[in-house]
Amino acid sequence: MTFLIQQTLLYAVPLMIVALAGVFAERSGIINLALEGIMIFGAFVGVLFVQLMQQSGAFDGAKADGNWLALQGLMLLAMLVTAAAGTLFSLLLSFASVNLRADQTIGGTALNLLAPALVLFLIRIIANQNTLYIDGDAASWFMIRKSDLGFSRSDNLGFLGETFLHRVYLATYVCILLFVVLSVILYKTRFGLRLRSCGENPQAADSLGINVYRMRYAGTSISGALAGIGGFVYALTTANCSSNGDVAGFGFLALAVMIFGNWKPLNIAGAALLFGLFKCVAASYTSIDINGDGVYLLAEIPISVHFYRMLPYLITLVVLAFTSKKSRAPKAEGVPYDKGQR
Amino acid sequence: MKEKWRQLMEKDGARTAAASVISILIGLLVGCVIVVISGLASSNMDGKSVWDGVRLVLGGILSTGRDASGSLTFGFNPANVGNMLFRATPLILTGLSVAVAFKTGLFNIGAPGQYLMGTAATLIVALSIPTSAVPSPVVWLLAFLAGILAGALWGAIPGLVKALLNINEVLACIMTNWIAANLVTWIFDGSVWRNLEEYGKTNYIYKTSVNGVVTARAGLDALFPGSQVNWGIGVAVIIAILVYVLMTKTTLGYELVACGSNRHAARYAGINDKRNIVLSMAIAGALSGAGAALYWLAGNTEFAWQTYQALPATGFNGIPVALLAASNPIGVIFTGCFMSMLNIVGQQITSLTAYNEYITDVIIATIVYLSAFSLVIKLWLSGRKKRKAQAAAAPVPAPAGDGKAEKGGEDA
Amino acid sequence: MDSENVIEMLHITKEFPGIIANDDITLQLRRGEIHALLGENGAGKSTLMSVLFGLYQPEKGEIRKNGQTVRINDPNDATALGIGMVHQHFKLIEVFTVLDNIILGAETTKAGFLQKKEARAKVEALSQRYGLKVDLDARVEDITVGMQQRVEILKMLYRDNEILIFDEPTAVLTPQEIDELMATMKEFAKEGKSILFISHKLNEIMEVSDRVTVLRKGRYIGTVDTKDTDKQSLSDMMVGRSVQLEVHKEPAQPRQAVLSLRDFCVPSKAHKRNAVNHVSFDVRAGEILCIAGIDGNGQTELVYGLTGLEKCSGGTATLCGEDISHASIRHRGKNLSHIPEDRHKHGLVLDFTLEQNLVLQRYQEKRFQAKGFINRGAVREYAGQLIAQYDVRSGQGPVTAARSMSGGNQQKAIIARELDREKPLIVAVQPTRGLDVGAIEYIHSQLVAERDKGRAVLLVSLELDEVMNLSDRILVMYEGEIVGEFDPKQTSVQELGLYMAGAKRMERSGKEEKGA
Repeated sequence: MTFLIQQTLLYAVPLMIVALAGVFAERSGIINLALEGIMIFGAFVGVLFVQLMQQSGAFDGAKADGNWLALQGLMLLAMLVTAAAGTLFSLLLSFASVNLRADQTIGGTALNLLAPALVLFLIRIIANQNTLYIDGDAASWFMIRKSDLGFSRSDNLGFLGETFLHRVYLATYVCILLFVVLSVILYKTRFGLRLRSCGENPQAADSLGINVYRMRYAGTSISGALAGIGGFVYALTTANCSSNGDVAGFGFLALAVMIFGNWKPLNIAGAALLFGLFKCVAASYTSIDINGDGVYLLAEIPISVHFYRMLPYLITLVVLAFTSKKSRAPKAEGVPYDKGQR
Repeated sequence: MKEKWRQLMEKDGARTAAASVISILIGLLVGCVIVVISGLASSNMDGKSVWDGVRLVLGGILSTGRDASGSLTFGFNPANVGNMLFRATPLILTGLSVAVAFKTGLFNIGAPGQYLMGTAATLIVALSIPTSAVPSPVVWLLAFLAGILAGALWGAIPGLVKALLNINEVLACIMTNWIAANLVTWIFDGSVWRNLEEYGKTNYIYKTSVNGVVTARAGLDALFPGSQVNWGIGVAVIIAILVYVLMTKTTLGYELVACGSNRHAARYAGINDKRNIVLSMAIAGALSGAGAALYWLAGNTEFAWQTYQALPATGFNGIPVALLAASNPIGVIFTGCFMSMLNIVGQQITSLTAYNEYITDVIIATIVYLSAFSLVIKLWLSGRKKRKAQAAAAPVPAPAGDGKAEKGGEDA
Repeated sequence: MDSENVIEMLHITKEFPGIIANDDITLQLRRGEIHALLGENGAGKSTLMSVLFGLYQPEKGEIRKNGQTVRINDPNDATALGIGMVHQHFKLIEVFTVLDNIILGAETTKAGFLQKKEARAKVEALSQRYGLKVDLDARVEDITVGMQQRVEILKMLYRDNEILIFDEPTAVLTPQEIDELMATMKEFAKEGKSILFISHKLNEIMEVSDRVTVLRKGRYIGTVDTKDTDKQSLSDMMVGRSVQLEVHKEPAQPRQAVLSLRDFCVPSKAHKRNAVNHVSFDVRAGEILCIAGIDGNGQTELVYGLTGLEKCSGGTATLCGEDISHASIRHRGKNLSHIPEDRHKHGLVLDFTLEQNLVLQRYQEKRFQAKGFINRGAVREYAGQLIAQYDVRSGQGPVTAARSMSGGNQQKAIIARELDREKPLIVAVQPTRGLDVGAIEYIHSQLVAERDKGRAVLLVSLELDEVMNLSDRILVMYEGEIVGEFDPKQTSVQELGLYMAGAKRMERSGKEEKGA
């Protein structure tokens, strides 16, 4: 059970944060189809950053001493860097959509093509292969164990403690915190109110003196930052801190989560957990022991591995089929705003 | 001269073409800039290799390798041109696939999935019917049709969910892509079509030539010695012309385009919009499937069946092919060739320099990015005079924003 | 009255590419007056107000407030100067609450967080003081149009605006609501607020305004004191010629019923109730039957249900003796033509050429296609004929892109297409919306001509003048039901208004069945 929850969270948290990235863009009126591309770019920049830090020997000492606070600090720094990278990359989308009134779907698709191309081009030049690895087990450096928290290896922290304090990543909790804070900002602040108004009726917002262009830039930039972080967290926790120009359709799944969650943070959190569970089942169904009796139930059911791999996408389609009638997208999303045309 | 240019730019078609050329030029420029920057930043490349990289980005199709002194040589390279035509074949068809959907108001990002399903169906039919019993041209035709049918069925799925449940076709296409990727792997896993004879080739499916099913090359191999070109390119061109006729001359095309431009008005006029959405996606899927069939029936390439982690680039590259051609089926023939030329360029760069083929993907992505605002480029090309006329023609007191009118019909 | 000018707009010229929307217009607004701005559609009224509100920048001219030259670059500047505007199409966020809509753009915050309590108190006080009743916690999409307008007015008051612009505020209101609005405006003026009132309705202007400025085709025609003028002379100033607003027509000679609806129901998209609830009536050959009512009372859904754009959920529709309740749109099209409410949404494929649009339903006929291939020559010839007959003007004739045509000519093209199909029933929904007087006269005469040819015309209109002038019989629709039937000669706008607002209803069930 502990394993199941931890694995589910590993998938659910990046999904959740990237779905929220989608919310910020779409609530401001920009369809961000480029989430996938931004994740890829964020993952690459994050991994590259960690690699450069490693090569420069910046944290060899910390690693050797087991100074986990310094390691966590480094990881937070890496998250910050990926947020910046994601923002930068997303500016390509906002520039095209806001200033040039481009077709946002095509613009997003372009970024989805650009990210893997650019990343693979650079990785090949840097590493002379198709994947950028970190020497050693990077994921485990950043993992928090109970020993780090002052417990001994033999201490039993109880179910909650074992699940949420042992073998976890700080990034998971940072993302959850970010998610909560940003959701509050979206609903309780002046900025949030104005941002949402631009996604619903930009003409009205403009007539009230709100700068629609700036709000859309802001929304898309926050979106880019979150997707960048999401990409890095994905790479760190599920791809062992490597980058190969691919996040396996995670950005698109996040879009589906966003639609399923009806553009509302609370629903999105729920939807992300659900999808995380499916992803987790698909990835590690052979080692899931649900009730702890040593029987790997799912592995014994004669269902092909291919089916499990297909499951998240299949379920997305089915879920969309059931929810699309009720779903309510921001009214003005995808429609370029032109000040001249009221 | 200036006057002539202005006259030319009055024509919408000319503006579209010019906008595409500009997109291509900017794309190539961005490619060169990235080559220069990454070359200068890299410790193991000098000025000469950077210069070689730039020259190959721009003229790789004419590359003939390096001479004894290690300098790049250029000239007509029949193998390159032939291979360009060979690779253009599937690109033209996936480009048509995306273009048909665009014309009917849909964004078919599902071409990779349709291409994969077409691939599977074609290979299975081509390898399963023994040519000892059935003449090989008949098997070829059956395999070709199987590819088309599989693509059509796969394309119809997002069309159906769009028409009946109003699910955004982009998301549906993305999901069906990944489902196809897993499904194809599932189909071939453990199957008899895997190449078990040659050592280390179990990850591949047999070439169709094993069963003697190969697209005719009559004459073309003599024209382009050393290349893989075959008459598939001819089939692709014929299909492009047929699509052009379908979209512009027939009542079916009229209906499809009407639905694409304004679904509400089409419904108002009694056109069955739901049927047309499904039909248009099925046609798009059929075209992608045909592209896959023509590529694999060449019989010279082995298909790596473990596709569950990556989607075929040929499918995605249909998007830039269609965008560059402004969804004109005849234009797609040329833009398809251009994209495959970039592909050859990528090969040359990988084999001749320290750079790699992904630079051409960067160029393609840049071109797609520019296509997203090709309207702005066109407007800019037509100059101020035209803009005035357009705005004047727009109804003054009536609500502006046609996108909005089509979306929900609310007054702005 | 204090004759000091609060706002002066001097020699304002605003050009759009290819058109001069405002040509050297001067407007002076005095403190505490209600100043009407009169003009036809397209005369430049809204453009001038948008300039004052900072949405457009004029090429020439200056704006003065209290004698000081000011620059108004955006709505923020306008608000800072105390200028507020109720737009013709409300600028409201439908999914926000009323309170959120009022504070949006002028929020009180603490460390970025919204402080809604103070705002609520202020709005409640204002709402009480002026009798502007609103439900602050309702979502805008759930409240009536009248209440939405009160929200817009409260938005201005919340910002302490002293100069209030009302852009065509009465178009969506019942006569009773209009009376209330007039009273509120007079109240504002008495308090010293200055009001600019944009309208093309002479009655309202005569009733409420102190002075009138008339615009025509972007030009300034003149400013007059309301008490020194009358409707006829204002009308002459507005159109530049004497217009006959009456429609000339002989008394109708209705014959057999062409369309019969019995207990016809259409579900609503917005709520659980039926948008059209058990509606029964006949439309007879040789008459113009008009459905009157405030926008959003089920007229749109009635037409959708009748023409097949929406499924009907109960009852029957019989057209020319055939039950069409569940027939396909194309099948219904055999006996009815439909001039749709929204010409951009339903009427035209804007990316098509004019000729392609003119055969939107007919491309399948033998005349225009053979074996699935469209006969371009035949289409071109037919289009040319319609263009000539109905005087549709366009840049390049049949091959003009529909998108590039003017609104009036787009509408003419639709009318040409629909009338030329020569069907027994013509459903015309707001056929003259947004058109100038000339085009309106033309369309009215065409509809009367069709009636005289023995066709049945079902007209849906929100303009009471049109209803009174054109129809032979009037049905009033309120909340999805028919609440009254009238003879235009024996009723008044005021009486219709009471029914349209739901204040009265007539028992008329069973009446039609006897006739059928």
